[in-house]
Amino acid sequence: MNEDMFEEESFTSQKLDWNVWKKIFSFMKPLKKFVIGAVLSMSALAGTDVIYPLIARFAIDDIINPNLEAGTQDLSKIPMFIGIYLVFMVVQATLVYMFILFAGKIQAELAYNIRKKAFRHLQELPFSYYDRTRVGWIMARMTSDSRNLSDILSWGLIDLTWGLFMMILLVVVMFLVNWQLALLTIAIVPILMIISTFFRKYILKSYRSIRKVNSKITGAYNEGITGAITTKTLVLEEPNYHDFDLLTSDMRRQSIRAAVFQGLYFPTVIFLISIATAVIYYAGGRMVINNDYISIGTLILFTGYVWQFFDPVNNIATIFARFQQAQASAERIVSLIETKADIEDSEEVIEKYGTLFDYKRENFEPLNGDIVFKNVSFKYHVGEKVLSDFNLHVKAGQSIALVGHTGAGKTTIVNLICRFYEPTEGQILIDGVDYRERSMGWLHSNLGYVLQTPHLFSGTVMDNIKYGKIGSTNEEAIAAAKAVEAHEFIMKFEKGYETECGEGGSRLSVGQKQLISFARAILADPKILVLDEATSSVDTETERAVQTAISKILKGRTSFIVAHRLSTIVSSDRILVLEQGNVIEEGTHRELIAKNGHYYKLYTNQYTEEMLELSKQ
Amino acid sequence: MEAQATKTTKPKKSVLKSFLLIFKWMGKFWPLLVISFGFLVIVSYTRTLIPLFTQHIVDYVLEFNLEEGSRLPDFIFRLVDHGNALNKLLLAAVGIILVDFVRSISIFFRRSVTAVFSERVSYDLRNNLYKKLQNLSYGFHSHSETGDLIQRCTTDVETYKNFISDQIIEVMRLVLLVGFSIYQMVKLNLNMTLISLIITPILLTIAIVFFKKVEKKFTTIEENESKMTTHVQENVSGARVVKAFANEKYEIEKFEGLNRKFTDSDYELTKQHAVFWSTTDFICFAQFCVIAVVGVIYATKGTISLGIYSAFLAFSGNIIWPMRQLGRIVGDFSKATVSVGRLNEIIEQKDEYGDTHGTLKPVISGNIAFDHVNFKFPDSTYHQLEDISFDVKKGETVAIIGKTGSGKSSLINLLVKLLDFQEGHIYFDDVDIKDIEKHHLRKNVGIILQEPFLFSKTVEENIKISDRNLDSDRVAEVAKIAKVHEDIVGFEKGYKTLVGERGVTLSGGQKQRVAIARMLLKPKPILVFDDSLSAVDTETDLQIRKALKKEWKESTVLIITHRITTAKEADRILVLDHGKIAESGTHDQLLAQNGLYKNIWDIQSRIDFQIEDGE
Repeated sequence: MNEDMFEEESFTSQKLDWNVWKKIFSFMKPLKKFVIGAVLSMSALAGTDVIYPLIARFAIDDIINPNLEAGTQDLSKIPMFIGIYLVFMVVQATLVYMFILFAGKIQAELAYNIRKKAFRHLQELPFSYYDRTRVGWIMARMTSDSRNLSDILSWGLIDLTWGLFMMILLVVVMFLVNWQLALLTIAIVPILMIISTFFRKYILKSYRSIRKVNSKITGAYNEGITGAITTKTLVLEEPNYHDFDLLTSDMRRQSIRAAVFQGLYFPTVIFLISIATAVIYYAGGRMVINNDYISIGTLILFTGYVWQFFDPVNNIATIFARFQQAQASAERIVSLIETKADIEDSEEVIEKYGTLFDYKRENFEPLNGDIVFKNVSFKYHVGEKVLSDFNLHVKAGQSIALVGHTGAGKTTIVNLICRFYEPTEGQILIDGVDYRERSMGWLHSNLGYVLQTPHLFSGTVMDNIKYGKIGSTNEEAIAAAKAVEAHEFIMKFEKGYETECGEGGSRLSVGQKQLISFARAILADPKILVLDEATSSVDTETERAVQTAISKILKGRTSFIVAHRLSTIVSSDRILVLEQGNVIEEGTHRELIAKNGHYYKLYTNQYTEEMLELSKQ
Repeated sequence: MEAQATKTTKPKKSVLKSFLLIFKWMGKFWPLLVISFGFLVIVSYTRTLIPLFTQHIVDYVLEFNLEEGSRLPDFIFRLVDHGNALNKLLLAAVGIILVDFVRSISIFFRRSVTAVFSERVSYDLRNNLYKKLQNLSYGFHSHSETGDLIQRCTTDVETYKNFISDQIIEVMRLVLLVGFSIYQMVKLNLNMTLISLIITPILLTIAIVFFKKVEKKFTTIEENESKMTTHVQENVSGARVVKAFANEKYEIEKFEGLNRKFTDSDYELTKQHAVFWSTTDFICFAQFCVIAVVGVIYATKGTISLGIYSAFLAFSGNIIWPMRQLGRIVGDFSKATVSVGRLNEIIEQKDEYGDTHGTLKPVISGNIAFDHVNFKFPDSTYHQLEDISFDVKKGETVAIIGKTGSGKSSLINLLVKLLDFQEGHIYFDDVDIKDIEKHHLRKNVGIILQEPFLFSKTVEENIKISDRNLDSDRVAEVAKIAKVHEDIVGFEKGYKTLVGERGVTLSGGQKQRVAIARMLLKPKPILVFDDSLSAVDTETDLQIRKALKKEWKESTVLIITHRITTAKEADRILVLDHGKIAESGTHDQLLAQNGLYKNIWDIQSRIDFQIEDGE
């Protein structure tokens, strides 16, 4: 669901920032011809809108011609009248059809381009970016912001073009027809402008403020739902409801106030135009009475033109407010697209090994899996050093269990090995070479990674296993599943390998998801395997399968396990006990138990649950 | 273009029901809607007067057709018919201004009344939903999707509000405008009226059909969009996996495909819109053309005057455009009915303990008795708890151990009426739990959950959540007992630190300790720890329990735990296995029984054995 509902909207200053818009406009370049088409059809449409009342005047003055006696008029002009009308209809319909197509095209393609560019860039960004940025934030850029922007730049463009042309044409035609009445009519335009701008500003302001309350209400619903059980156990229903009522009351008060104030806008405009109409009737009528200044058709024409000023003025007043509003979206999208990747392959590396999207596999050296941490120090963007002067040598094929409290640095070590992050100081050598001298593609195509909370994509079980090696055959995938003992339970599903994993793979148990992600990892046949073991308990049967699978997939690979299970730890080649970024103890299980130190303490405190399990067997 | 919409499509039958609900939820505010309607009548009527002024000026004042005279209603005509031509012209101009003044004022009042009406109704709706959500059962909350519920409470409420404030009013406005216009036109000339209306039914039908059809198209677009956004969502939240398998290229290709598909289907809809709007424009102008041509012929024959001809042109504008608009709104109606249906699904949910809501508020001293309690989840086939019987005396500490899924948490939930059991009895000092009022019970039984929820307020506000007027000394006091004081003081803003999404993220252990602190504000006869120290290290765990024992000597304590060292110190231990009490007794008794508990204890010893072995 869209998390951006909870996000307080950040609004920028009132000023339009041309730098931001320039960047956004660059997305429109490939759409140039549609933009030209839209502008042309829209200005032509403004033309027909101005001409239309003239057709009516023609009928009144030239056919009905009230100065002649009824029945004495020249009816031969009627076919011409019908002809003009038909042409007008066809032109009008065609223009409407065209402008909608053009604007729609701009809107759809612009949004497409923005999303395309943003998604591509997201793939280039290093993992640290995802650590810092909430999923909801990114989602909002990809959905509502790109939509807002493409809306304003397509339909907004239409409104603006039409509004401007309409105003200009109206003024020109009116002056051509009768300059005195034209002056009288145009007099209200500045007033309309001022009023419209004033109201638009207010409407925007109140809209923002209401949105803020609204997002607070959404947040309150969220808390009310996710905290429902806590609320019940603490008997907080009354105070919570009271808090909620404060929010909704505020919402009600603000909304009503805004609506009432906004409600003044339209009546004010109507009244103003009405005064102008009355003035034209009076002044024009006088001219008619005083004879031959103007025809009756012209008088009626002008009373119609007065009303035609309102829409363009309103459009233009609205468009600036909308641009201001869309600027926030524009800024956020630009900020996403321009985020610099702080972990990138150097140009030389790219030259040799290719980019993330285009490997030069032929240049990839084989990877053995000998890993050395050489004086590695590391700190995240914010905060203190997590590792300092860390040294470690892992021989190819060794399995290493990382043990320690939360925050001891286990995950950091894993992140560094995967090159999700790079050392702030020092080097990591793989097969004796600093891994920054090889490409990320090289490392990652030799790396297997199993997450603590297995992440499956929507799609079938088969799709998910194949994700380990895009383009592999069904047989290969099934073989991988068999290797990690996942085949059996998969076949028990009604649809077997074609079972949908559903939203986040929710229909599968945690243990089953884990086995599938093992299969996925083993299909890639990686030289280095990183395993972040699950803490949550699974049922005994799956548990046993997981254990067997783990011991199988570790064989012949250099592996790092963030271990939570006794059996896994016990069976690894080497255990590193970490505390505050330092290895405080290391050795095999037996050696460490004998030491009766940190490991022993950890061991006795944490694994009671597991003993309960073991005791049952 | 809004793409937000609802997904469920409902059978025909419930459409009528939804419609009734739309009005039911207006509650006591419906008179405001009637007042709105009253203003609308004035607005529409005054609007149809203006073309009559045109006729009045052209035919009567400017004397283009004196035989026709003025068609203004008498009460207005008498006011503006004074003096010479110029004078009459001035009066007519003033008349126009006055009529439009009345219209403007009415529009303003109409809008204000509508705003008050719709905001009050949706205010009530929002509050009712919130109340409802708080009252729903444990079962409902553990099964429902938060995102979906929030979506309903926000977007669907918004759709409903728009319906009652904009759509209903708009329909009434258009109907009135068309109605009054026809009325005035008939008074002017019946034949011309019929000609003016000749194509409008077609227009209305086309519009309704089109917007109904578009609604379906929307579903496809939404599906395509949601496939695309799901892909982004999964890609972003699974960034580690994508990168670790070096699948960036694959991801981009897949996204391109989905992006293209959504874009194309969106544009497909635009094309249909282009056809609709251009065709209907053509039809509208065809109707105008017919009116104009017939009008011109009539006028040259002298059948109608020039003034009436002009008035007809104006009136037909009041009818033709609204017809298309009307079709659009009617076509959109289903959106509102779907939203109302979705909201009603929440409102119709049964409250927790709708029927077995006890009313007694007895003094609860701390004696608890389970008497042959059987419990199963409504949708389950087997008993989660079976034949559970045990007594706990006031002041006793009882530990419950057992593996995941053995029914420990269910047992606790029964105790505070979060779940309802099927057979047997639970007594608090001889009062049956079914007769006790649930809030009263929960105030007396303090329960600390394994994964406690903290509200997005400051730490201090979270601790004094059930008594907001408490002073900060007492807050610090309980925080010290819960061994979280040091942590809090260590935060940059101390007790004023904001918790949650917009503030500091607390660790699991910190959350648990804050939850303990907030439970300690007032003494309670019964205290339950549902594995609520699992994320706290053993030493701190021990310290907290010691401090508690000192403060709360009188209270009965139930502890669910995985730690055998914790269980050992209890007065009594219950071992749960597959929903049954497998063993119960003191530590020594259980060891003597040589059963499950002994087994666990032995493994504990095996560690010692291994150590000896290693040395």
